[in-house]
Amino acid sequence: MTLAIEATGSRRSRWSSITAWDLCRWAMAICVTIVVVFPIWWMVNVVFTEPGTPVSINPRLYPTSFAAGWDKVAMIMRETGYLHAYYMSMAYALLTIAGVLLLGSMAAFEFALFEFPGKRPLFGLIMLSLMVPTAVTIIPTYLLTAELGWINTMQGLVAPGLASAFGLFLLVEFMKGLPKEMIEAARLDGARHFQIYWHVVLPLTRNAMVTLAILTFMKTWGNFIWPLIVLSNAEKYTVSQVVGLFNAPFSHQTVDVVMTANLLAAIPPLLFFLIFQRKIVEGIAMSGSKG
Amino acid sequence: MTMNLRHLPHYLMVLPFVALFAAFFLYPIVSGFYYSFHDWNAVTEPHFVGLANYERIVGSRDFSRAMWNLVTYVVITVPLGIAVAFGLALLVDSFSGFWSNLFRSVFFLPVVLPAFLAATIWRWMYAPNFGLVNMVLGWFGYPSVNFLNDTDTMLFSLIAVDIWVSAGFNMVILLAGLKNIPVDLYEAARLDGASRLQQVRHVTIPMLAPVLFFVMTYGLISALQVFDVPWLLTGSSFTNYGGRQNALLFPVMDMMGRAFGSVRFGQASAYGFILTALIIVVTAGMFGLRAMRSKP
Repeated sequence: MTLAIEATGSRRSRWSSITAWDLCRWAMAICVTIVVVFPIWWMVNVVFTEPGTPVSINPRLYPTSFAAGWDKVAMIMRETGYLHAYYMSMAYALLTIAGVLLLGSMAAFEFALFEFPGKRPLFGLIMLSLMVPTAVTIIPTYLLTAELGWINTMQGLVAPGLASAFGLFLLVEFMKGLPKEMIEAARLDGARHFQIYWHVVLPLTRNAMVTLAILTFMKTWGNFIWPLIVLSNAEKYTVSQVVGLFNAPFSHQTVDVVMTANLLAAIPPLLFFLIFQRKIVEGIAMSGSKG
Repeated sequence: MTMNLRHLPHYLMVLPFVALFAAFFLYPIVSGFYYSFHDWNAVTEPHFVGLANYERIVGSRDFSRAMWNLVTYVVITVPLGIAVAFGLALLVDSFSGFWSNLFRSVFFLPVVLPAFLAATIWRWMYAPNFGLVNMVLGWFGYPSVNFLNDTDTMLFSLIAVDIWVSAGFNMVILLAGLKNIPVDLYEAARLDGASRLQQVRHVTIPMLAPVLFFVMTYGLISALQVFDVPWLLTGSSFTNYGGRQNALLFPVMDMMGRAFGSVRFGQASAYGFILTALIIVVTAGMFGLRAMRSKP
């Protein structure tokens, strides 16, 4: 903001001298790009540098040794449970996505397109839950998971996150825009209720489902607090917990090994972003403008 | 009865969602409320203690410290974060086509990174002597600062990471709002001789008010529950958290410590309700402010 004010303020001339303003905004955009990208770039450089080179000789401003980085990756994969943590995080994310999409789309189908007694209060109650902070539910949800005997299990990790009110909201908003005539036409053709959902509505909802799947992936891959309490057994750790282990104050790991662990955790979301960036940005913009 | 049968397919379709919602959202709220009036360590039977949990929390030193940290943190990080995001949105909006898209994606990059990673990367960037921040300070002849262990700098180090993480998210939402402002309004303002700064002040900000309100309310609610980043910046564990002199102790951290460090689930549940009450008051205050302002 301070930057923006200075720039607009320092542009004393009017539209005629476009160059001064151009210079300003380019300079600012480049400065922000450096601030945003550099920490991530620095992480990469620390990984791909011969370990032990003093900062005074090699300030880690660019990668210098591909082999050194590769050795660290191989070492982490070989000597720690990182690969299994990857499997845990992937399973956690994929199962959550499958559940959120299936349960959410089934419920959204009804809430968006049909009338039935009790619909409004029920939907209202679920939407109200969007306002309730996680802080109040997390401890009792943990206690319930423990009562069910689901601590250190995949179902304990996944099940509490499946009834996503946010997902339902997103899908209902989308399905409301579907043409009602198509459903009527399908019904006249003799399609049963579930068939209409599966063969007519689901294919039309693909765009919203993809957006929701991507946002759900980002959220579960980045979820730190829930795996932290549900998985106490180190053999079940997810990537977030293993990264936490590497970064613990007494882990006795050197910075380049820690950064390798961090980089490995960053790869899936960064890849996702490269592939789906438009969908991600639009999904967030949409949830913001509708919320 | 025939009526019920006709609606049966509808209920069957919503049942899986509603069942899980009831089990993992409604039930925990009710049971948490029950536990908050009981002393319970998850092993022996819970026994009723009335309001003792609430009294013990509010009277504790950790609570006042966490609340003080929280207030300072929220008062700085939310307005500053939104100001930065607004500036970035204006900046991206001033470009068009390829460059606008490119800068939007680049500025959004930190949002894609899980918060736990942002925290761990920054913890090393802040490290004394060899960390990048201190290295840059060193080039300009400044002595090394122990950012995450010096009580004068800890909170600001957190806020910097926080803004780095969240600015892109708010920027994208504000940007979508900017695109919805009719161009005619700017043209009219320009014809009236408004400078670019005046256009922002008299056209952009009023037209963007609903989006700004959303971003601010959402930002407040998440800032009040801050956990991942300060937890990792301080290298916390359930038995030792909050950093030096509890300078980065926040309510959710305190709550988690009471639950899993000292195994007091009754107190931790009560903590959740205290925090929720605070969030409701703040949110209601925001809506109240908006209602007051929208009146002539």
